[in-house]
Parts: sequence; structure tokens; C-alpha cells
Amino acid sequence: MKKFFPVLFLLLLFPVAAAGAGKTIGIPVVAPLSGPLASFGQGVVNGARLKAEELNTNGGINGRPVAIRFEDDRCDPQTAAAVAVRLASDPDVFIVVGHVCSSATLAALPIYRAAGLPAITPASTNPAVGRLSAIYFRNVYQDEFQGAFLARYVSRARHYKRVAILFAANDYGLGLKDAFAAAARRLGLQIVDCESCPAERTDFRAQLAKIRDLNPDAVFLAGYAPQASLIVSQARGLGMKCVFFGADGLDDALMLKNPDAEGLFVTTPFLADRGGAMVRDFVERYRRRFGLEPDWFAANTYDAVGLAAAALARAGCDRGKVSAWLAALDSPGNAYQGIAGPIYFDAHGDCLKPIFVKLVRHGRWVSAADQLQP
Amino acid sequence: MGKCRRPAATVVFHSMLHALLASSTLFLQQLINGAVLGGLYALIALAYSLVYGVARLVNFAHGEIYLFGAFIFLSLLSGFFGVVLSFGPALLGAVAFCALLGVLLDKVFFRPLRRAPALAGLMTTIGLSVILQNLALLIWGSRSRIFFGALVPAFFARPALQSGGLVVSWFQVIIIAATAGTLAGLQLLLYRTRFGRAVRAVSQDRTAAALVGVNVDRVVSGVFAIAAILAGLAGIMAGCYCSAISPAMGYTAGIKGFSAAVVGGLGSLPGAVLGGGICGLVEAFGAGYISSPYHEGLVFVTMIVILLLKPGGLAGRKS
Repeated sequence: MKKFFPVLFLLLLFPVAAAGAGKTIGIPVVAPLSGPLASFGQGVVNGARLKAEELNTNGGINGRPVAIRFEDDRCDPQTAAAVAVRLASDPDVFIVVGHVCSSATLAALPIYRAAGLPAITPASTNPAVGRLSAIYFRNVYQDEFQGAFLARYVSRARHYKRVAILFAANDYGLGLKDAFAAAARRLGLQIVDCESCPAERTDFRAQLAKIRDLNPDAVFLAGYAPQASLIVSQARGLGMKCVFFGADGLDDALMLKNPDAEGLFVTTPFLADRGGAMVRDFVERYRRRFGLEPDWFAANTYDAVGLAAAALARAGCDRGKVSAWLAALDSPGNAYQGIAGPIYFDAHGDCLKPIFVKLVRHGRWVSAADQLQP
Repeated sequence: MGKCRRPAATVVFHSMLHALLASSTLFLQQLINGAVLGGLYALIALAYSLVYGVARLVNFAHGEIYLFGAFIFLSLLSGFFGVVLSFGPALLGAVAFCALLGVLLDKVFFRPLRRAPALAGLMTTIGLSVILQNLALLIWGSRSRIFFGALVPAFFARPALQSGGLVVSWFQVIIIAATAGTLAGLQLLLYRTRFGRAVRAVSQDRTAAALVGVNVDRVVSGVFAIAAILAGLAGIMAGCYCSAISPAMGYTAGIKGFSAAVVGGLGSLPGAVLGGGICGLVEAFGAGYISSPYHEGLVFVTMIVILLLKPGGLAGRKS
């Protein structure tokens, strides 16, 4: 809660600041700042703040200072829709950075689409986002890509032959599972079992006992960190020794606190020790500013705000022109240079970005020795 | 021909033996998993049946007492209220809190409604269940809490029995033993004490019991306390067993416990235990042998089938 007060404070200050300066350009950043997934929002807030500060020391957008306007959607579709209505009806909003959770993004999407308001999500990976709106962009890969990558990774880099899947019964888990299974079939990777985890379940021993009997090389946990953490602990309790892995939903500090998660690996859009000088620079500046290590939410939001500012600077304060400018970024040669690689979009507004693999070792994330790039 | 047949038969026999051994390990593992869940459901089902027996009231707030048991216990262990207690005192504290909560609910909400139509009491329990769940949200927040064994004694997670692929943790042994112990204690209380005799009298005929001098209100309050202790204990054990608690945990547990009580025959104590056991075993075997996501519904399908065959529940009284 303490960390939340500065955000609230900023929220309260914003209208005053905007009125006072007169010439600031506001960029709304929507994320879960409270509620069960508030930990996602922390990196988003820091990443956006760092980018805005750097933009302002370099003269802002065509001489006008940037003000980030944080909005809280709690990762809740209803709240997200309410925020979206407010932003869409505000004539001073020309682009939105957000939302984080796919369910929130999908709730806000039709409202932005109807208002012709372009948006960039730094974190929503559900495949439908790109398909449903031509002006909803993202600088994160989507789940079809991520699931297929994981299948290729475990089969090519890890040489696993038999994998079991435990997926969360929500849009994220289902999408990942389907993409993984489809790619596995093409690669000859055998799926020995596929089990679902209902939302409120906390005891997975029955499913795990069954999987233990099938003796797979590894288990794919297609879901979020809280359930995954319980699953690995209960699996160790049942004497299971196999490797567990998952996608970016497991990329949470919670996994580091769990001693049973040793060896678990996940896909992530950002690795502090991979990539060039731009990444090292960013990590250094972020550490100095916040005294923390940047997570991928921070890195992607930093880029998304930078991209939004570039669009406003080049295209001017007009929703249609901003959309057109973003849509015109369509090839590696014609891209926005983000810290985690060039950002450009396909016809759906989806972007091709590198995927990294990192694993838990002695309670810390370390990048996997065997990365695999498309 | 004769030469060929013997090795082939041996191979078939051996592979069958292997399959049997492998499947019996899985079978035993699911039996243990199911027995643990069944024990927890049985405790909640007992709470429903006990209260129904003396007050003719289905108290849907039992799920939330289960929730409070778990949260208070872990809050006392982790120092959430400013004091850090060790395992034993925290357990006592949480159980005592649940008992008080049970008595309080009875005195404040249900006693004034004793002579009101049954629906009024039922609606009150549903309302209380919502209020209590939101109270928990206010106190502890909406986040589910996961802990990594640091709060409960370390040996709980260690295997008590390990043979072949079968692993039974101390925790599973303790939960099954605690459930059995609680049942035995309850049996003694109901059939060997004055209070127990009064409880049985009230549940048979409240007016007649009052006529022979039983203090009905005190007996009902006592039963509310015992039921709350059972539900709270189940919550505490479930929270530790899964090493996670969330404000939503009470709802599902309450519904499953209630279903178990109905299947066993609402008001019947052996029925509640039977219903709870069936509920847990069907859940474990369903998840173990049938590919999800259908197994979640299997528990309820089984219950509907049982109720179609025996509308009064397995051990229900004839109406």
C-alpha cells in the first residue's frame, strides 16, 4: 500500500499540473495498481516514470513536457472498461499505454476502437488482441508465438521427448496450452497428459500422482505463478524429480521464494544480461533511479512509453495520425529502436520480438545457457 | 508350439504383473489423496449436520468459519496481529476464536429467529456468509497467501511412508489421524456425556427436551460452537496441507461440505462422514483417472446419482 501512495499522489496532482503548465502532453498508462495482481503494476509504474523523466530532461515532446497519467484497472475487466470510457472521451488523450492483463485489455479494446484511440499494450499476450483491433498495438509477443517457442525450445535445446501439461482454466492458460500442443505435434514431442487447474484449486496431488506415473521428462505449467508455486511444492512432496517450466505468467518473484522451484525455467521478453549496450544502460539507469532490478514489465513499459512519445512527436496530437504512424512501422528497417530490440508491427499490430529463457538457481533468476532464437 | 507358448505366457504374465503393480501404486496414492480430502470434507459436513440436527438450520456460514480458522491460525503464526505464537498456542487460539464465532453467530442472529419461518434463518446464514467473506477481504486483502513450510513444523512435509512410487507425507497421516480422532471425540461427547444426551434429546424433539428440563438455548449454542470448531479445524488443516489460503477458499469448501452432508443424509453424523469420504475419493480418483476438465463436475454428478437413488441421503432418516 505504501508504494501505492506516490501513485495516488501523482493522480491527484495531474489535473493541477496539467492546468498549470498548459502545454504538457499527457500519456495515460493503465495497469493493475491494486488488487491481487498489483505486483505486475510496480514495474509498469517505474518503467513509465523513468522514460518520462528522461524524455523531459531531453526537451520533452517537441518542447512540451510529458506527464504520465497513471490509471488503475486492477486487472479487472469491468474497471478496465470504465477507465477506457474515461480516456476515450477525453479530448486531450491521443494514445494509451496499457493495459497489462489480457482480460482487461480485451474489455477496453472495443471502447478504444470505437473512439479511434490508438493503444499500445506492453504485456497482454492473448492472440485476440491483435485480431480484434487494427489500432491496438503491442510490444510484447503473443501466446501463439510463446507456446510454439516453448515447444521448440524443450524439444530442440533440452531434447525432451515426453511432456505433461497442467494448464490454468483461463484464456491465458488455454491459449498457451493449445499453441504448445500444436507445435509439439509438428515437432514429434509427445504430450503424455494434459490436465486443467480450476481457478480456486489449491490441491493438485491427484493430477500430479497421475502425471508421476506417466513419468514425463518435464511438466509444462501453463498458468500464473501462485498456482504454479503450489504445484511444484506438492510435486516434490510426492517425490517427483522432473523439470517444471512455464511461460511469462510464472515470471514472478514468488517463484524465487519457493525452494522447490529450483531448476524451473520460464520464457521472458527481457533479460538484463542479454542484449546490447542499450539494455545494460537501461538496467544501470533503472537501478540508480529505483534501487531495484528492472523486470520485463518495466522494460516493456519503458519502450511502450518511448514509442508513444515518438508517435506523438512525429505525427502530432491527432488520434488518426498517431495510429497511422504506428501502423507504418512495419519492417526491421522501419522500426522504433527499443531496448529489447527493434519494434515493428504486422498487419494485426502484433510484434515479433526475441524470447529469452531464464531459470531459477539458488533463489535467483539466471539466463539459461542454451537460448534459442527464431 | 509348446516351446513358444511358455515364454509368451511368461511375458504376458510379467507385463500384467508390472501393470498391476504400477497401477496399484497410483491407486493407493489416489486413495490416500482422496482420504485426506474426504476427511476435510467430512469435518465440514459434520458441522452442517450437527447444527441441522439441533436447530433445523442449514448454516451456510460454515465455509467462512473454515476460512477464518485458516486465516486466524496463520495470522497468529506469522505475527499478523503483532504477536507471533508457536504452533500449539496458535492452533488453540484459532480454534477458540472459531468456537466463539459460532456461539456469537447463534446468540446474535439465530436465537431471535428460532421461531421464525425456516427460510428466514437460511437467508440469514447466506447473508452472514457474504458478510464474513467480505470482512476477511477487508482484514487480509484479496491476495491469496502462499507460504513455504516456514510457518508449520518442517517434518509435516516429509514422507512418513515411501515404498515404490507411493509417498505418504506426515501431513497426510496427521490429517487422517486428526479427522479420525475428532470423530471419536465427537462420538464420546454425544453418547457418553450429559451434554451429549441433551444434544440428542433436543435433536429428537425440542419441546419435549425443554419440558424435561434441558436448557435448549445452551445446548444449541454449544452445538454451534462444536460445529464451528470442526469447520475451523478443517480450514486450518486445509490451509497447511495446500500451503495456501485465500479469501475465496471458504466458498468452495462450504458448498462441497454441504453437498457431502446432503448425500450422507442431512442431520446424520455417520452419513456426514460417509458423504465427505465419497466426495474426497471421487474427486481424487476423478482427477487421477479421468482427464480433466470434466472431473470437477464429477463430484456433483455422483451426488445427483446418489440422491436420485436415495433421496434422503445414504444414511438419512425416513421422513
